[in-house]
Amino acid sequence: MVASSGMAALLHGLRNPTDASLLIGGDPDACAAVLGVDGAAVSVASDGRQSELVWYSPGVSARFDDLQFTLGEGPGVDALSTGSLVLEHDLTRVEPSRWAVLLPEAAALGVAAVFCFPLRIGAVRVGALTLQRAVPGPMADAAMEDALVLAAALTSVVLDGGARPGVLEEQDAGLHRAVVHQAGGMISVQAEVPVAQALVLLRAYAYRHDRSVMAVAEDVVARRLRFRDGGMGRDPSADVRG
Amino acid sequence: MAREESVLEAMVEAIDTLTEDFDVIDFLHRLSGRCAELLDVTEVGIVIADQYGVLRTIAASSERTRLLELFALQHEQGPCVDCYRSGAARMDIDLTSPEATASFGNFAERAREAGFVTAHALPMRLRNQTVGAMALFHTRASSLAPADARVAQALADVATIAILQQRTLTQTSQEKAQLQHALNSRIAIEQAKGVLAERWNINLDEAFDVLRSYARPRHVRITEVAQQVVAGSLSARDLRA
Repeated sequence: MVASSGMAALLHGLRNPTDASLLIGGDPDACAAVLGVDGAAVSVASDGRQSELVWYSPGVSARFDDLQFTLGEGPGVDALSTGSLVLEHDLTRVEPSRWAVLLPEAAALGVAAVFCFPLRIGAVRVGALTLQRAVPGPMADAAMEDALVLAAALTSVVLDGGARPGVLEEQDAGLHRAVVHQAGGMISVQAEVPVAQALVLLRAYAYRHDRSVMAVAEDVVARRLRFRDGGMGRDPSADVRG
Repeated sequence: MAREESVLEAMVEAIDTLTEDFDVIDFLHRLSGRCAELLDVTEVGIVIADQYGVLRTIAASSERTRLLELFALQHEQGPCVDCYRSGAARMDIDLTSPEATASFGNFAERAREAGFVTAHALPMRLRNQTVGAMALFHTRASSLAPADARVAQALADVATIAILQQRTLTQTSQEKAQLQHALNSRIAIEQAKGVLAERWNINLDEAFDVLRSYARPRHVRITEVAQQVVAGSLSARDLRA
């Protein structure tokens, strides 16, 4: 279950935006092309609700995501609220009452198929990736594997609060280790922040001290390191014990 | 009870569970326990590949943190990695033999420290692809009889089916997505364990028990309880009630 070379080449760009004001770098259109769809869009969440479109193919994808946001319904909204994939490869076959207002609008936009991936890591949900295509039909297996890798990479970038050149993909992979999440849960209580932010504090600490996320997480779980005062902005100092 | 009956009972229990809206993590936890009991091995663990092709622990017969860490250590090296890459079962691995464990890196040493002497690894197959592995660990030298090996493989197959049966994803038959969903469920539990361990100053093993004891009598998934703990919508007082 690994990315194709086409997708692997694009993942690097996510963390290296050409414009520093962008949350996510890379080229949504190029990603869409590799995935066999017409467009891609990422909206981030706050308080569990879709809140801002941050990365998108111009045109239909952007308008479709805006529609979902305006109407408060749609596959991306569902993916975010349930934490599950929503794959509808033929919108004409969706029960009309499911997205009563959105479906006719989507048809008018020329969207025939949508594939939504929650950007989540465990219980933490940071947004959704929505892919759309004008021609109905399921995604190929290889494209699905690429999309899952892309969603994982996007999750990591969004979680960090933006692209940070120099953060290696090894760090992304570290996000899947149990000890990192046990530490994330502990830090959230210590610093009185949500678990999503606790993971950011953990990764930022590791980055600043030039240590691996795993090693720092092990210290937290062994109660050799405590985080405190993790509020926004200031340096989340930690106490080292013993 | 005759051996065959025990095996049959485990299978029937599995099938019964799979017809309902079941909790995949709890199911795999119990299946691992059953497997250890039936095959008279000390511990059983299940690992599946994530989107990077790296093996992750999803369940084990015991939630002891040290055991989970040992399974997790196999993300790069160990019997499960060999088994996952080759797609073939590896039986009767002597963890005390430098030759047999040459490719395992520091896994063999850590396994011996934990008291394990023998290991077996069985592939979790999905058609012509391997998606993970089931590992059996023993604290004494032993070999698995052919009949036992078949039982172990059957239980590994049941575990694979369970992961692909999660009802929360009825909208997709996409198998890779279901593997990811199961792994995310596991991560949510780890996050909640961390929250509880810190809030109550208990250890991570106890934290898992708290989640499980709350979920089971209420017929909710451990993952859902974990989600609520992380979101802060389930209070400490509720959990301890």
